[in-house]
Amino acid sequence: MEMTLLIGLDAASYILTLLLVCIGLVIIFGMMNVINLAHGEFFLLGAYTVVLLQQYALPFAVILFIAFVFVALIGLIIEEIVIRRIYHRFLDTILATWGISLALKQLVIVLFGPGSQQTMAPFAEPIVMFGITYSSYRLFVMSMAIVITATTFLILFRTRWGLTARGVIANRQMASCLGVNTRRIDRVTFAFGSGLAGLAGAIMAPLMSVDPQMGVGFLVPAFLSILVGGIASPLGAIWGASIIGGSNSVVAAIWTPVIAQIVVFSLAIVVIRLMPDGFAGRKKR
Amino acid sequence: MKSKYSRLFTILFWAALAAAPLFLGDWNLGLLSQLMIYGVFAMSLAFIWGQGGLLCFGQSLFFGIGAYAMALTTKGMIPGVPAITLAGLVLAIILPSLVAGILGLALFKGRGLYGAYFGIVTLSAAVIAERLAINWSYIGGFNGILDVPPLRLEWNSWHIEFYDPLLFFLVVLVAAFSAFLVLLKLERSAFGTVLRGIRDNETRAAFLGFETAEYKAVAFAISGAIAGLAGALFAVQFAFVSPAILGFALATEVLIWVAIGGKTVLLAAFIGALAVKSVENVLSDTLGQYWLLALGLLFVTAVVVLPRGLLAPFLNLPLPPALRQSKPLKKPTTT
Repeated sequence: MEMTLLIGLDAASYILTLLLVCIGLVIIFGMMNVINLAHGEFFLLGAYTVVLLQQYALPFAVILFIAFVFVALIGLIIEEIVIRRIYHRFLDTILATWGISLALKQLVIVLFGPGSQQTMAPFAEPIVMFGITYSSYRLFVMSMAIVITATTFLILFRTRWGLTARGVIANRQMASCLGVNTRRIDRVTFAFGSGLAGLAGAIMAPLMSVDPQMGVGFLVPAFLSILVGGIASPLGAIWGASIIGGSNSVVAAIWTPVIAQIVVFSLAIVVIRLMPDGFAGRKKR
Repeated sequence: MKSKYSRLFTILFWAALAAAPLFLGDWNLGLLSQLMIYGVFAMSLAFIWGQGGLLCFGQSLFFGIGAYAMALTTKGMIPGVPAITLAGLVLAIILPSLVAGILGLALFKGRGLYGAYFGIVTLSAAVIAERLAINWSYIGGFNGILDVPPLRLEWNSWHIEFYDPLLFFLVVLVAAFSAFLVLLKLERSAFGTVLRGIRDNETRAAFLGFETAEYKAVAFAISGAIAGLAGALFAVQFAFVSPAILGFALATEVLIWVAIGGKTVLLAAFIGALAVKSVENVLSDTLGQYWLLALGLLFVTAVVVLPRGLLAPFLNLPLPPALRQSKPLKKPTTT
């Protein structure tokens, strides 16, 4: 019983972490049709912001806020210099963001060295509940993932900006004819998506060893998640993260984490092949 | 943008490579063989990406299968297959080609995958293969396979081993030139024309009656075979294969070479690999960590500003007369 609960909690933790990474990715992919391979490095920048700012003993909430704003600004700059020139060349956005990711990662290595850095969690006491002990910071990460996803959905579906942004996705030309400044929407969307990646990195930093390769590990599961979930709607991120994260945790608990990755990634390819629209898009057809 | 001198450049380049043993010592010849192996690998990607329009993010999968096939065969680790070089080479070409062809058919048939989906799926396939190789202890696991024997030709009692860098260089040169000729011939055939047609507008090609999925799968298989050949030569040169050559790192490296050189022209991709790799050998000492930073930025610049690549405009060979388009086709007018 306790074992099941523990596996369930681990699964929930992995699912929500994945969701945290995916939500920014699916906004940029789904709304702007840009595959952002630099997402892992935005995540990385967020984590290193924590490394840098914890030396000044700032409150953790402030650090999280700064990480979001800082990475959003980086996203804004990259959108302005690179991405906006290649919106119409879909495949080239993959390559360009891959180059950006390479450069950013190397920049981090130049500035901080290739080794791993330590960050401290703001609180670390384990919590005892239902007869099992669990890390309180992990629970905090899980609740943050839920809060951030909910906030993103509120912004997209309950604010005027969200309405305009969804209008631009649905029909860019019509939106622009109706007086929407599509350039501004693009800019804000990309910055918002990047900022979310930075925030995710900052939140996750105390749980991981912060090193220049930490973003890469999330890249493949995150992309498979959003493809399995479907990119037509941000809901896809929830579907995808639940399916990939959940099955991965369960298989990892039965066999080993490596077998879990092999099995889950292979199954994900089959699912993507059979349902290119993903789980969130399957009803519309 | 066809350069007048492209044919001359192409011939001069191959002549210069063939003349290299006259000027280079053993050490540099070995280095050049290594670069040419990467060049063959780059051509395999340029064929599928530049002609077929398929952005393959997992080309290292086929390179790695080729390398493992060669290493396992020549070390006598595949039951039923004789431990000779020739068997290794044949397997190293056929096996990756089969994998690519089957993967291609599975992905393209029916309502197939395209564009970015294909890229992400091939990337995942390469990552899966790397994980598998790490965990498969028979093929060496994490450490890979050491002491891959050199190339060896036998005929009754006579045999020759290609220990000497010069001999190995000549083998690689012949392999590279044959790969170039085969791919070039395909590119300039009717098959290549259909492939480019599919790249430019798949729906139109399908309406004209071409089985686009099968064309793409065959092209993918050919590209896999050439990548496997490069992998086999790589295994022999380094006498060593490891799971890393199956995975993410090499797959994205080859993309950079091809994008910088030029994806639509085989020789541009080949030279792109040679150039990036040799600059890396020289500069990674002096520039240190800044080299990768510079490469990343150069790559982004090439993609954004010069999508055709830096070298392609100078090496783009004119099509054979039969395939040339005398004047631009008129746009259909609606009456």
